[in-house]
Amino acid sequence: MSAADTSTVKKTGRKFDANLLRRRVKLSLAHGFVLTLVVIMLLPLVYMVMMSFKTSTEIAQNPLGLPKSLYWGNYMEALSSMGYVRSVLNSLFVTLSVIVVVVFAGAMAAYPLARIKSRASQLIVMIMALGLATPNFVTITPIYVIFRELGLLDTYLGIVLAFAALKLPLAVFFYTGFIAAIPIELEEAARLDNCNNWQIFWHVIRPLLAPVTATLSLFVMIMVWNDFIYPLLLLTDKNKLTVMISVYKFVGNTGIDPTKLFPAAVLGSIPLLLLFAVFQRKIMSGATAGAVK
Amino acid sequence: MRHRKTLYLFIIPALLVIGVFFVYPIILTFNMSFTRFQGIGKATQVGLKNYDRIFSRDRYLEAAWVTVFYTVIVVTAMNLSGLFFAAILHRLPMIRNFSRAALYTPSMISFVVVAYVWQFLYSPLNGGINVALTKLGLGAFTQNWLGDPNIAIFSVAFTQVWMFTGFTCAIYLAGFAGIPEEIGEAGRLEGASSWQRFRYLELPLLGPAITVAVMLTTIGTLKTFELPYILTKGGPDGATRMLSIEIINNLFGQYKFGFASALSILMLILVLFVAFIQNRVLRDRENTQ
Repeated sequence: MSAADTSTVKKTGRKFDANLLRRRVKLSLAHGFVLTLVVIMLLPLVYMVMMSFKTSTEIAQNPLGLPKSLYWGNYMEALSSMGYVRSVLNSLFVTLSVIVVVVFAGAMAAYPLARIKSRASQLIVMIMALGLATPNFVTITPIYVIFRELGLLDTYLGIVLAFAALKLPLAVFFYTGFIAAIPIELEEAARLDNCNNWQIFWHVIRPLLAPVTATLSLFVMIMVWNDFIYPLLLLTDKNKLTVMISVYKFVGNTGIDPTKLFPAAVLGSIPLLLLFAVFQRKIMSGATAGAVK
Repeated sequence: MRHRKTLYLFIIPALLVIGVFFVYPIILTFNMSFTRFQGIGKATQVGLKNYDRIFSRDRYLEAAWVTVFYTVIVVTAMNLSGLFFAAILHRLPMIRNFSRAALYTPSMISFVVVAYVWQFLYSPLNGGINVALTKLGLGAFTQNWLGDPNIAIFSVAFTQVWMFTGFTCAIYLAGFAGIPEEIGEAGRLEGASSWQRFRYLELPLLGPAITVAVMLTTIGTLKTFELPYILTKGGPDGATRMLSIEIINNLFGQYKFGFASALSILMLILVLFVAFIQNRVLRDRENTQ
């Protein structure tokens, strides 16, 4: 309730007020209505979890209802044959490596871009913007060819660099905006002490970047975890697959078996759902940055 | 100032990564688009033959049209639904944070998983949606959601709107939060209804949020690949066959790297064109308001 509502409540006190009653009823109806809609929006996820606990006969007889009991057999089967733990470790390793590359290269590039306004820096910003807007499937053809030439197919190094190139533009935008807001006086003081550019960047600028780095790392993690085209086409070694590719390979694309699909879907989604549960504010505010002038 | 020039050295690592894995690939795509190339061996120069093929057959222009049509309906629906939830949740602070997080949750799930789950929800016989409709006594509304060429694209679009309604809602809520409180209060004192306050006081002030949301969702939707790839494989009868699917099929089904490159250039031009126009139109509109 906003400030205005509470002040009316105070003024009228306990005195019966038909207007107030009508407002209350309207308000609780609105709450009920919205909550119902929100629950409906969540139903597909509930469906996913429920289905993962059903045996195949149960799915055939009762496709929509609650499972009779928590049947863990599907999960046992998925865990033992989809290489889940290995692929989670792969995704984590790739995520951390991409974060290192993107944070260093992104923050370094952002420093001059935030401080110098020139034709050259505008051009670089434009290329970055173009990079952000370009779909994966546009660059996958040449990247596949380049990777084969360089022997990067099916290597961690290759997939890390390819992902880094995808998220680097975002990193540069995040850091540029943030660094531009850092008062230049901080740097000038250091320059009077005869610090060179690198020392200023490392000792003055870098320590201030932690909040952006945190948001960026979450975004990298979400991308590495969920991206499909790059790892699907650039990795074939079973031991190097990321989580979503091992889900995809486990489930297949024809004649899908629900007792395989739903536990794999839940297992594939759980890590990011946990991440979201812990960092939801950071993730949402990062995604909505720029909505207000 | 000497330190200014050396400052540019800081850009080098980023430029290397972007250069090798983005700029050079784009140039290579452009070059490959004038060749016939199987992926291995030598590429044969064929001039404009690939482009000639694209523009002389309905198939590829239809794929471009499907891409655009899909983007328009998804972006429109996604922004309307997000704005709808945000406008209501802005007035209901008690459940605002919970609802925002709940609505945002589907966008944390990968396209692959979402596509698999919705494939089951849409399945004609035992699928969740048709079973639910029958149980609610609405059996007449059951459909072959993904198998009917007239409906399939809307079914795929609905899935994407479901995924990202929370995303647009969060952006619009941030926009609402940026509106000074006195404005809403003034409207209330003047006796403006909830709808009037939204239409005449809040909506005009949401310009920046609308710009951001429409641009981000348009760029994101033009990138659509996984949903139709898994849900419909571009079918039925090409009804959901977007440029993305054409490109990947030419590439890894048929090893037509040259032709896939030409399609990629077409897609790139489409993305650039849309981004440019949108930037223009939305910024202008924001400035005149």
